[in-house]
Amino acid sequence: MEALDVEIRREGLSLGRPRVATLYVGGGTPSLLEPDEVARLGAALRDAFDLRPVEATVEANPATLDRARLESWAALGITRLSLGAQSLSAAGLHALGRTHQPEDIAPAVAAARSVGFDVNLDLIFGWPGQTAAAWREDLAAAVALGPDHLSCYPLELALEPEEAVANWPGAGWRSVERWRRRAAASQPDDAGIAGLYELAERVLGQNGYRHYEIANWALPGKRCRHNLGYWRNGDWLGVGAGAHSHLAGVRSRDVGVLPAYIAAIDRGGERIVDSAADVAVDTAMLALRLDDGLDLVRYGSRFGQDAAARVRTALCSLDGTRLLHWSGERVRLTARGRLLANEVFVRLLPDDTSSVSTSVQ
Amino acid sequence: MADAQSRIRNFCVIAHVDHGKTTLSDRLIELTGTVALRQMREQLLDSMELEREHGVTIKARAVRMAWTARDGEIHELNLIDTPGHVDFNYEVSRSLAACEGALLLVDASQGIEAQTLANAYLAIEQGLEVIPVINKIDLPSIDLDVVREDLRTTLGFKDEEILLASGKTGQGVAELLHAIVERVPPPKGDPSAPLRALIFDSHYDAYKGVVAHVRVVDGLLSADDRILPMATQKPSEMLELGVFTPEPRPVARLAAGEVGYAATGLKAVADCRVGDTLTLESRPAESPLPGYRPAKPMVFAGFYPQRAEDYPALRDALEKLRLNDASLIYEAETSQALGFGFRCGFLGLFHLEIIQQRLEREYDMDLIATSPSVEYRVITQKGDEVAVDNPAMLPDPGTIEEIREPWMKTTLITPTNYVGPIMDLAQNKRGTLLEMTYVDPTRAMLKYDMPLSEVIVDFYDQLKSRSQGYASLDYEFGEYRAADLVRLDILVAGTLIDALSVIVHRDKAQHIGRLLVHKLRGLIPKQMFDVRIQAAIGGKIIASENVSAKRKDVIAKCYGGDITRKKKLLEKQKEGKKRMKMVGSVEIPQEAFLAVLRIKDEP
Repeated sequence: MEALDVEIRREGLSLGRPRVATLYVGGGTPSLLEPDEVARLGAALRDAFDLRPVEATVEANPATLDRARLESWAALGITRLSLGAQSLSAAGLHALGRTHQPEDIAPAVAAARSVGFDVNLDLIFGWPGQTAAAWREDLAAAVALGPDHLSCYPLELALEPEEAVANWPGAGWRSVERWRRRAAASQPDDAGIAGLYELAERVLGQNGYRHYEIANWALPGKRCRHNLGYWRNGDWLGVGAGAHSHLAGVRSRDVGVLPAYIAAIDRGGERIVDSAADVAVDTAMLALRLDDGLDLVRYGSRFGQDAAARVRTALCSLDGTRLLHWSGERVRLTARGRLLANEVFVRLLPDDTSSVSTSVQ
Repeated sequence: MADAQSRIRNFCVIAHVDHGKTTLSDRLIELTGTVALRQMREQLLDSMELEREHGVTIKARAVRMAWTARDGEIHELNLIDTPGHVDFNYEVSRSLAACEGALLLVDASQGIEAQTLANAYLAIEQGLEVIPVINKIDLPSIDLDVVREDLRTTLGFKDEEILLASGKTGQGVAELLHAIVERVPPPKGDPSAPLRALIFDSHYDAYKGVVAHVRVVDGLLSADDRILPMATQKPSEMLELGVFTPEPRPVARLAAGEVGYAATGLKAVADCRVGDTLTLESRPAESPLPGYRPAKPMVFAGFYPQRAEDYPALRDALEKLRLNDASLIYEAETSQALGFGFRCGFLGLFHLEIIQQRLEREYDMDLIATSPSVEYRVITQKGDEVAVDNPAMLPDPGTIEEIREPWMKTTLITPTNYVGPIMDLAQNKRGTLLEMTYVDPTRAMLKYDMPLSEVIVDFYDQLKSRSQGYASLDYEFGEYRAADLVRLDILVAGTLIDALSVIVHRDKAQHIGRLLVHKLRGLIPKQMFDVRIQAAIGGKIIASENVSAKRKDVIAKCYGGDITRKKKLLEKQKEGKKRMKMVGSVEIPQEAFLAVLRIKDEP
């Protein structure tokens, strides 16, 4: 908390106390913060920034919410609660190794509503042993809670070590890996997961949710503005261990392991810069995630005609694959394209053999 | 001069692979004091790294030694090393032609093997004095009587002719040297005739050009002579004349009967070939020594770089290898599936493996080698004969009257308890049993006629595994015979993959087709569409499998900094794609080609 406080104040100062339009408090379980800690966070943010968010989200675990905490978040200006429900069935939560119970979720939604928050539910599908019928029940139960927004992710079990695991309770990466390998072995196969995804598209569509990003659905007017900023490759500042930032075309991040983060802040807050970032490529890739897709006219005026031509050539190489839908100069993923989006993204990567140099007029 | 000749003995050591030839040769060199003990490197004669690894000698070397005979006279002994593998039969025969005598080495624990016999017959045919030696007598639990019986029954030696030795301990080695002086006749060349020197080996040296290893048969060769290889007719000024001791040592002249080397300054061993006769430009001999023939490749394969940009490097590497190996031939070829590469010809499968390994290790090439093929003779309906060494080049079946393939005379020696499984194997390989005899009560010798195309696909490995390593093999070319052969094609998503076509016997086509298709199905990753994999003969599908379409490949979660990490995954995916070959609209990984081409012809 101490380091975070220091970082917020330092960054706000160096950026000239800009207006904050959206705020997102997430990663880990910020809902565990005590009301006085939330108040301290709010004070730091208000001192360092012009904090008038049109949307401010906090991530929460359904089992850790109480009225006092919610009120403290509301006092900070939070407007939206993102609830890590994952599944609304006991079997699902057990298979995913979550500690909360299905019956924690409805009260958590009701509590959020009672303080006036919009609600997002995170759901995970493709867990070991999940059937289409089980997923249909999960979706129906989620819809019945009336969330404004839903994020649905296929369970992806990365088997390579992750830095953040060092911050988790438990026996470290080895035990995480063991659990993941076991789970991965009994997951539905890719065709099965694709079927579950298509089921979500149907069910949520029938219930008025718009599929506006590969993994996100929202009622009209309820798209997550903060995340739209990411997908439109806008600027943002991230603070805290492992937090990424994108400011003036430069991607950087804070070191992820907690003691190292604290030490880095003590030393003046140096960040790790991602030199591989390529604004033009990233922008095209991210735009295609959205249902608006990519407008090559606007893209061309932002990054130059050469860049737009490169993207067009890359995308045209997929003609006949039914991954993309063109309307004039606007291109978006088809339903099939959303499931095979990597085939599209891979083609947008620059060839390292021909050095990329954009001519600037 | 005649007196000098009478104190020269030129001999070689012949043996089956692993019967201890090199160790014994080292011992001879050591005992004659040619190299001081401390200078002895283990296995002096095998100087190439690969030779050490394979335990066989690829390039012969000749070493001059001095030995004081029992009568007190100092003799000049020239040990001419011979290559030890079945593919290098011609080179062996040229080494033998440079000698008057041979030590025939037989491993005391193994007895006579297929190549012992093949080499012994070669030596006897050339009129060499053959001294049988039972080697490795230091080994425990050996039965010398059984080995003696081998030598008596198969080669007609008498017990009293047979010497005993151990290359490892040195036991009996002095006796061998005495026997060489006493039994091997001295050379009988005409010292005043025009020069005729047999080139029994050659190697390329970056500074001296081609170094020919020669045995002067007639006449005299001086360091300042201009020399002329009679077959290639490329005269040159010698850069150096010398003998191996075994380090090269320059000499002023080599007289009739002597053995040494001539640094020719020529740029490729192809200009100065093994088996050719060296004469003088100023006074050429009337006719060359008998027996020269150009190396004839028997086995062919396409070599392709895994990365197209390595093509020039592969060409350079082959060029360099050919400097030292006149029997390696290659020409550029193009495959629709594999791009630009080379069709290479080899003396045999073993030769192919050596070249492939040298390209991979010494030149750091990542190669795709197509299935080895033999040279087929296609008789067209018009009566023309076309040689085909690449299945993709087989003419339209409708125009073919007949296809002929090379058959080999194959000799197998095996302990009798493996005769059954080995006969099954040979039969499965379309072999015809000609003869079965017994070398001794425990071992049989089988003679087969067998198509070379069957010998080069997995036959040797199978032979070894069915006999627990005990059976040995020797083969030589017999004749071309007509056969019911077809070309088996592989199609992926309707596109024929030329590099995977094979010529097979019609009876086996169905089986091999199914095997190939099944293997490919496991190796081709899911694509955006269903991919059909088929095996076909002349357009008729004989086997078919399906790779179902990929259904999901998406980074679903992507917020904030995720793009950085996820792009790394995409980069990896892109790298993977780069290593694939596009065939039509299908991406096929290199590994699929490699694995399919390695497929074994299991019954």
